[in-house]
Formats: sequence, C-alpha cells, structure tokens
Amino acid sequence: MTAAADAAPADIVVVGAGPAGLWAAYCAGFRGLSVIVVDSHAEPGGQVAALYPNKKIYDIAGLPGVTGATLVSNLLEQAAPYEPRYLLGRRATSLHTGDRTGELAVELEDGTRLECSAVILASGVGGIEPRPLPVGHEWLGRGVSYTMADPSTYDGLDVVVVGGGDSAIDWALEALPHARSVTVVHRRRAFRAHAANVRRATDGGARLMTDCEIVAVDGDAVVRTVTLRARTGEVHSLRADAVVGALGLISDLGPLTTWGLEMHDRRIRVDTSMRTNLSGVFAIGDAAWYPGKVALMSTGFGDAATAANNAAVLIDPEAILAPGHSTDRSSEPVQEGAAS
Amino acid sequence: MTFVISSECIDNQDGSCIDVCPVDCIYEGERKNYINPVECIDCGACELVCPEVAIFPAKSVRSDATRQAFLEDNALFFTMTLPGRDEPLGNPGGARKVGPLETDTPLVSDWA
Repeated sequence: MTAAADAAPADIVVVGAGPAGLWAAYCAGFRGLSVIVVDSHAEPGGQVAALYPNKKIYDIAGLPGVTGATLVSNLLEQAAPYEPRYLLGRRATSLHTGDRTGELAVELEDGTRLECSAVILASGVGGIEPRPLPVGHEWLGRGVSYTMADPSTYDGLDVVVVGGGDSAIDWALEALPHARSVTVVHRRRAFRAHAANVRRATDGGARLMTDCEIVAVDGDAVVRTVTLRARTGEVHSLRADAVVGALGLISDLGPLTTWGLEMHDRRIRVDTSMRTNLSGVFAIGDAAWYPGKVALMSTGFGDAATAANNAAVLIDPEAILAPGHSTDRSSEPVQEGAAS
Repeated sequence: MTFVISSECIDNQDGSCIDVCPVDCIYEGERKNYINPVECIDCGACELVCPEVAIFPAKSVRSDATRQAFLEDNALFFTMTLPGRDEPLGNPGGARKVGPLETDTPLVSDWA
C-alpha cells in the first residue's frame, strides 16, 4: 500500500488489532463505516496471538474450545467483507483531538496521519515488543538484534544468544550449523526451554552459561565483544559478531498515557457507551475501565459492539443506535435446512 | 484475579517469573518477589516457570492460610510505605523501571 493510500481518512480508526479491536472492525463495518486498524505489532491478534496462540480458550460464547490462532483468524475472516484497512507494525504515537470535524486524527510513528471521525482504543495492556537487553540496546542493527535472521547470515560468526526460554535455545539450534561458535547466556540457574532441546544444543556444540549476565557490549562500527559476569563475580569477555536478545515479549502502554485520557490505574475510564473523556474517542476491552468491569474477551466483544454503534450515531446523528440483525443481511446464500 | 508468590520464594528468588511476565509486574524485593495485583493480567506464565513452585492463582489459595496471607502481603508491598522508602511504590507500570527494591514487607523481612 502506498503512503498516500495509508493516509486516506476513514470513519473510524481502531488502535489495537487484538480480539476486541478486530471485533470493533466488524461491528463498524456492519454499520457501513470505513475502518482502519493499527497496531504496533506486525501480526494481528494482540496478546492472544503473541503470547498464547496455541492454548485453548474455553470462555468465548458459542465456541466450546478454540485456540487463540483460530479465534484471530476467524475474527479477521468475519470482518473481511467490510474491507478494513490494516496498518500493522507501526505504533500509534499521538492523538489529535478537536471539536470540529476533521480535527480528530491518530498519528503513527512513521508520521502517517490518519484523520477520522471517531477513534476506538482497543490497545489492551499496550504494545507488544521484544524485552530489551539489559545492555547493548544501542547496538541494534550493528550486531544486536531481537529476532533471528536467516541462519546463513551467521556463517562463520561468533553468536551470543541471551535468554533462557524456548526461543533462546531454538535460535541457538538454528545458528549452530552455520556459526563459528554459539553461546547462550542466561541469568538464572536453569533454562526454561524444553530439556530435550537444551541437550541438543549442548550436543551440537553450543556453550550454555547459566547464572551469568551480559554486562557490556563493545565494538567499533559493529559489535566485536561482549562482557559476561557470572553470579560468582567472575567477569570475562567473549568474541561476538552477533548478539541476539531472546528475552521474550513485553507490553507497555507507551505514548497513550500522554494523550490526556482520564485513567483508572492503567486503564482508560469510559462511560456506559464506552466514551472516554475525549470527544470522539472510545475505549474497549482490556484497555477500558468502568465500575464493575470484568476484563475478559467475552466482555471486550460487548464493549466493541457498544463503542462501534455509539460511534455510528456520533458520526451520523440521524442514525439509530441499534445496528439491526446480522441475519437480515446475510451475504451468503442460505443453506438448505439452515435457519435464516 | 491475580497470582500470588508465597513463602517458598523467600531467600530462594530464582527470578524466572520476572523473565516471563509479559507486563513486567513482578517486582524484586530483598528476600522475595512480589506480583502487583493491579498490573497483573492473569496470564499464568509465572506459575508455570517457577522452579520453587511458589506461585499460585489467587482464587486457589483461600483454603490455605499462609498463601492467603501472602496474597494480601503481595498487595501490601505496593500500597504501604516500605522500610527505607519515602512513599508507597504504587503501580509503576513495570519492574524494570524501578529495579530491585532491596526491601520487603514486615511479613517477609521477619520470616524465620
């Protein structure tokens, strides 16, 4: 998509492509509204997709057991007929508010300004990003990375992976056939990764160091060495061309806290229409708080319907709040024997 | 709901829970770690990785007086003015923003 097409205005900008945000895209689409969904994460699905895609979820109404991955793909499919625009992998950095039409806009980190008539914040517990390394973050792109590149990139290099979970060991295993050396540094006493994989890594020649922290990253134009400190106090330096942070994901509310929203602890206070204190701005799902709020996906879906339909009335005061029944608008031929 | 770190953690802080918490809501005290019940999103990642089996879902501890006391104590860590500090910790929105706290609640510091 071109930058100009990205920036075309929409009726509604949804911030957050988790379950609540995706359902808001459906609800708004059903009302005939155009929708842009933005998310800092490159993949849709929010927490469910990033943190536990393969765990079965049992408390979604009408779905006796569904994995996060399936739920997300179903939500995308459900909204698809209304062609929401997805701008993923870009953080929403600021919100411009105003009383006059055309003044409401969400701005993304790359400067794209998305003008809209309403904003629905479905930002959950915040943007999901790799947990930064304790040191060496400034070498990002010059030897330090937070994802595994194509393994052949590591041909002949000294690779240091930092972390103790499955991704740390998986990445070490991927690098092993290519790298000159692979060292995995973990600050705790034992690896959390699957024992069989830890053994494969050791058997494959990886050096695993527990109770050991990375305390410095040094180099010239690129990374050359790392300094490690063991719990015993022993410090030593290691040649390193590539340092891969595998410290898991972490979420952070980020810039949203500076947008002038009235908060309740770390959630956005809303009324019974999901309206925030800012005109034209709604909040739903885990991002929202109202008295009696229960933070579950099932209530988040309800929040999404409430917000999208109230936004429809805000955008067109002649519109009726109730959206009508989806059964009246079936886009698919009615199957024989199925209820209409 | 939240999770609670119970007495098993005292002087046995492994810290794997801190590594896996997706919202960074587990704070490191002097002798024990504490889960901030306001910031916890109830994902359960910490419970699975604790080598001391010290972490329990809050709703499961009602029948266990010690763990119930630690549930209240976890909350207290954030609401009381801890020894050596000027004000309550509150909800800082991430343990890495404040680092190790080097202090504990009275229940934990007096734990024999």
